[in-house]
Amino acid sequence: MHLQLITLSGVSVDADIYEITAPTAAGPISIFPGHEALVSVAIPGALAVRYKKGDADTEREFFAISGGVIEVSHTAVRVLVDEADHGDDIIEAESHAALDRALKLRSEAKNQVDLEHAKELIDRHTVRLQVAGLRRHKRS
Amino acid sequence: MASTQLLKSRIRSVRSTRQITKAMQLVAASKMRRAQESTKASAPYTEAARELLTALSTRTSVKNHPLFTKRTVKNRLMIVIASDKGLAGAYNSNIAKLYVNELQADDAARIKNKTITVGRKASQLAVRLKDTEIIAAYQELPDRPDGNELRAILDAAKTRFEAGEVDAVDVIYTNFISSMTQEATILRVLPAGFEDNPDQPNTSDITYEPGTAEVLDGVAYRLIGAELFQALLDARASEHSMRMIAMKNASDNASDLIDDLTLEMNKARQGAITQELAEISGGVEALHE
Repeated sequence: MHLQLITLSGVSVDADIYEITAPTAAGPISIFPGHEALVSVAIPGALAVRYKKGDADTEREFFAISGGVIEVSHTAVRVLVDEADHGDDIIEAESHAALDRALKLRSEAKNQVDLEHAKELIDRHTVRLQVAGLRRHKRS
Repeated sequence: MASTQLLKSRIRSVRSTRQITKAMQLVAASKMRRAQESTKASAPYTEAARELLTALSTRTSVKNHPLFTKRTVKNRLMIVIASDKGLAGAYNSNIAKLYVNELQADDAARIKNKTITVGRKASQLAVRLKDTEIIAAYQELPDRPDGNELRAILDAAKTRFEAGEVDAVDVIYTNFISSMTQEATILRVLPAGFEDNPDQPNTSDITYEPGTAEVLDGVAYRLIGAELFQALLDARASEHSMRMIAMKNASDNASDLIDDLTLEMNKARQGAITQELAEISGGVEALHE
């Protein structure tokens, strides 16, 4: 099964995989080769990719994604999201600090634009921390 | 004739100016290359969104979606993209010219106008104009804008369009045609344009989750976002390329000026020597008499 993870800043993943777990509006779904054709709405969350059939859960790769669209055919999966950060690139302490800043921003927001911006940042860093947490399990 | 001392100091000052413009030219060149790369990198995203929308159009009427529905334009929102800093040749003034023209056209057609500015130069211009209302101003976007910056601008425009506050959203930006040619352009992002393609594969066996309407919402949002993002990146690449050319011209002019001044200084020095010689020989003549 071929996976393409397409973001605004380019194609992040273009490889053959065995399984992908993605957060969708109707709950998280796992897709294996031969899945029926499907188009679903992705919500911000953690995307997990298992490259080979025998790989353990801890060997999966994680991505923090923003909202987007997932397109599944029998032989390929295409994930179209604004942003996808690889789990390895996320530094937990930085995300914690950024989340704290965002929470502070929300409490001090004076207008709608600031408030929306703060909410956006909070969502983003919550997802990143979630993915960082998954990564920690992987290491230990 | 100016004194050699004075000319010398002028040459020195022009030379240091040339050093700065030369450095700015090199910086702009490398930034332009990077901006061009990210313009290319976002192309698959746009393409995938368009393909999905084409597939969707066999199942549901795309044209009736709120983001695609054309309305009579009574209120218009313009997103004006300029730079934060000057010294970029005609970059900002081209945008300003187009923007003012559009405002005048709106005024004549009795269309109310609202503006979102991107870049300090755009907001400085817009606050001086009385025909428009500024609803948001974004400044100091990073060199590689990502989804976060884009969504802030996109959502501000989209919510107003959906609420019926504005009937059309246009982006005024500089289209990057090549590193030599850039053109101030106006692009309509909302209502989004989409042409049905009659000969497309049958997609009736595809399941849409949670439903076609939700998926269409998602895809339409992505496609509009991609267009706006492309405009932002194009504007970035154009800015750097125009700054590069402007700074190259400035460096060339400085070199010419240095040549001219050096010539004048040499003439002045030669003049002084000739005069001194004449004085000496005059003195010797006087002693002989």
